Amino acid sequence: MNKKDFLLIIVVIIIISIMFIFTNMTKEKGDTAEVYYEDKLILQIDLNIDKEYTVQGFLGDVVIEVKDKKVRVKKENSPQHICSKEGFISDSSKALICLPNKIVIKIVGTSELDGVVY
Amino acid sequence: MKTKDITLVALLTSIGVVISIIESYFPFLSSFVPGLKLGLANIVVLFALYKYNFKIAFLVSILRVFLASLLRTGFGFNFFFSLSGAFLSIIFMYLFKKTKLSIIGVSMIGSISHSIGQVLIGIVLLKNTAIIYYLPYLLIFSLPTGILIGIISKKLLKYTENII
Repeated sequence: MNKKDFLLIIVVIIIISIMFIFTNMTKEKGDTAEVYYEDKLILQIDLNIDKEYTVQGFLGDVVIEVKDKKVRVKKENSPQHICSKEGFISDSSKALICLPNKIVIKIVGTSELDGVVY
Repeated sequence: MKTKDITLVALLTSIGVVISIIESYFPFLSSFVPGLKLGLANIVVLFALYKYNFKIAFLVSILRVFLASLLRTGFGFNFFFSLSGAFLSIIFMYLFKKTKLSIIGVSMIGSISHSIGQVLIGIVLLKNTAIIYYLPYLLIFSLPTGILIGIISKKLLKYTENII
C-alpha cells in the first residue's frame, strides 16, 4: 500500500458518504408506491390502505403486500427471490427491485411544497 | 498468439473458473447486498495483468465469465451482470496500472468498477434507474474486498516470481 492507495480509499469513502447523505436528505416518507414494469408505470398504490395487489411480471405474477404504510413483495417467481427477501420498505431511500420480473417498486413522497411551477 | 500464450490463457481461465465455482458455494456476502461477492477470481486476472500483459488478462477475464456461466448459472441475467462487471473492471485496472497506484489500489479500482459495471447493466436491463440505490452499498464492500484481493495477488506474485 502506498500513499496513492490511501488517497484512493479516502476519495472513495468521501464519494460513498456523499451518496448516502444525498439519499438520506432526499428521503421521503411517502404514502404512495409506484410499481413499474421496466420504465412503464403500471400501478399506483395507496400505502394507507392495507391490501394485497397482484401484477404481471416477466416470469409470472408478483404479489405486493401493503401493511402499516410499508410495502413488500410477498410472492414472486424468480431464481433467487431477491426482491421478496428484501422485506418491507417504507421510504424513498430504498426500492424493491425484481430484476428477473422486470418489476420496480418505488415509494414516492408527498411533496411538502404547496405547488410546483414548471 | 503464441502457443505459450494460448496455454497460459487456458490455464489461468480454468483456475479462475474453479475459483468462481468454489466462491459460489459461499454466498454469505450476497445476503447483505444482492450480487455482492468477494471476487476471488479477480486474483487470477490481476496476476495475469501484472505477470504477463493486458491481452492475456483481458482474455482470461472474459473467457472466465463465459465458462463459469456455461457451467453454473446459464446465460441469463447473472451472465450479463458478470460480463459487464468483468469487462469494465479489466479495462479500468489496465488504465490505472499505468498510474502510481500499487497492485492493491489497482485491485480496488477493479472491484469498484465491477460494482459500477453491474449497476450500469442493471439500469440497461431493467430500463429503470431505481437500481442505482444499490451502488453506495456495493461500493462500501468493494473497498475491503478490493484490498483483500490486492493483498492476495501481491503475495501470489511474490511467491511465483521465479516460476512460469
